[in-house]
Amino acid sequence: MSNLNSLQYFIPELFLIVAILVIIVVDLFLKKNKKIVSAYLAALTLVVTIFLAYQQYGYSPALLFKGMIVLDSFAIFFKIITALSTLIVIFISLPSFRTKAEYYVLLLIVTLGMFLMVEVNNLLMIIISMEMVGLISYVLVGFNKHDLKSSEASLKFMLYGATSTAVMAFGFSYIYGISGHLNLDVIQQSLIINQPQALPLFVAFMMVLAGLGYKIAMVPFHFWVPDVYEGAPTPITAFLSVGPKAAGLALLIRFLITLVAHPSAGNAANFIQNVSIHAPLLLAALAVATMTLGNLSALMQKNIKRMLGYSAIAHVGYMLMALVVFNNQGIIAVMFYIVVYLFMNFGAFCVVESLTDKLGSEKISAYTGLGYRAPFTAIAMAIFMFSLTGLPPFAGFIGKLYLFAAVINQSWYILALIGLLNSVISLYYYATVVKVMFLNRQENAPPLRVALYNKLLIGALLIPTLVLGLYWSPVINFTSRSIGFLFGK
Amino acid sequence: MEPNEILFLFIAVATVVSAAIVAFSSKIIHSAFALLASFMGFAALYVYLSAGFLAVTQILIYVGGILILILFGVMMTHGIYDTAKKTAHNALSVSLLGGLAIAAVLLLIITRSPWAPILHKPFQPTTQLIGAAILTNYLLPFEIISVLLLGALIGAVYLARAEDKQK
Repeated sequence: MSNLNSLQYFIPELFLIVAILVIIVVDLFLKKNKKIVSAYLAALTLVVTIFLAYQQYGYSPALLFKGMIVLDSFAIFFKIITALSTLIVIFISLPSFRTKAEYYVLLLIVTLGMFLMVEVNNLLMIIISMEMVGLISYVLVGFNKHDLKSSEASLKFMLYGATSTAVMAFGFSYIYGISGHLNLDVIQQSLIINQPQALPLFVAFMMVLAGLGYKIAMVPFHFWVPDVYEGAPTPITAFLSVGPKAAGLALLIRFLITLVAHPSAGNAANFIQNVSIHAPLLLAALAVATMTLGNLSALMQKNIKRMLGYSAIAHVGYMLMALVVFNNQGIIAVMFYIVVYLFMNFGAFCVVESLTDKLGSEKISAYTGLGYRAPFTAIAMAIFMFSLTGLPPFAGFIGKLYLFAAVINQSWYILALIGLLNSVISLYYYATVVKVMFLNRQENAPPLRVALYNKLLIGALLIPTLVLGLYWSPVINFTSRSIGFLFGK
Repeated sequence: MEPNEILFLFIAVATVVSAAIVAFSSKIIHSAFALLASFMGFAALYVYLSAGFLAVTQILIYVGGILILILFGVMMTHGIYDTAKKTAHNALSVSLLGGLAIAAVLLLIITRSPWAPILHKPFQPTTQLIGAAILTNYLLPFEIISVLLLGALIGAVYLARAEDKQK
């Protein structure tokens, strides 16, 4: 579609760009004590953007801007998810970031980057959109300039990010060299027709995985996670563990089903590889490594943010596990899991953010006896923890059920077994938090007063975590409808 | 051997050698100047690929901008030579093994695989073509980069500016 005609399908992004500029200008006219208005404006922007993105559901899939990006329901689904994650982060940040309009502007720019990440159809756009998310995230991670840990985290994040992007770009150069094209759908056709050698494609695939794996914190590209998660401001940690990760997974899925595989002729729900490079086996190995390493490292953590960081790695492992099967069932399971994960992970981080100031520590041991000092918050935390473990009747259980069902349906029994064992391991460290909160008691500890605003926010995240565990069919239907990919014609 | 090829070999060797100096030199200022030669070599290689615009951009941005920034950074950083190295290096054998393994795989790929046909285009100016491409096929990336740069600018200013005075 030509550039001018594409604009009408680009309205959410255009609105976001205009809003970013407006907020920057409005901020100049705000008095010092009124800076919070830009935060409200940013939240309003995201609500409108989500609405605009939802409006796009009716469109038939189309290539926009001469094949640079693609608008299909898969992209729209992830646009809504990522915008929602930014919205929740803004709500979590409101109490602590009251004077800095830049913070909210940067969050909106990251959102724009995530929008582009989930709808790319061009190797160049992949790099630009990933850099848009990455580059701005480095600033957000180091936003507390006077906090040494925050600055260190920012620098580490940047060094790892730059290296992984460079490796990925090198991989892209191979893909371009093999196929001679930049647009993903054209590359797919070229690979199917020309059947190039497997080795260069395999190496290119590995290099691209380095870039994407870094974004979603996949082992062995996860080294930045614990330090960055610990050093970053808590709302940003929460954000990194959901928003960019969802966008990265969407990009990975799009990459897997265009460059690595294509829908089989008879049955569009299954994918066969363009050139046989053992991608499922490689992904299975990475999934096992990711969840096992994430869970085992989480066992030893004393800091709750580090612990949640390693647990986030483990959750990526579970999601990768379902991508191994290369069919629609696996992709739907991952998409559903992201919805569930969004609520429970944000919930856990929201509790941490509400308590850190009050307790003056992020150590798990500081949560001792919390069940008696702040009952509502502690119970909510316990529910989030059990949901993250995947225990019924919470949402995490249903999410994991779909993931495992997709894997078992395709007879990857050993993989499913390892996933199950990992869930058992994860119960230990999640339950430790609950045990510390309820079974241990601090003598003479006064009750903690958690602000009403935080309680409301935790409650708002708690409701979906509970409801989706019992009544999830609307969400799974919505997810199944969102799997309309645009394949190369 | 034609003079053309001799020149190419000279440029290629000079680029690789100066890149090696960047990596192995123990004085950071030597690395910075070797980087200059390496960047110039790259620009010359781009000319051989008949990418004239890219060559000029390489010199303008990398040599004229980034390298000068690095040099200023090196010269103005106080006591950059006195800082004790706090990171441990990997054992030489391990690094060598890893590097050689990667080099072997990459060499295998480069020599063995049939790359997409290279167009034997005559040497012609590309600037006009690039300008047209940016405003037609590549309009979206071009515009999106401007938003990216805006964000980078805001972030950089925020991180670098002095905090407001104490009230």
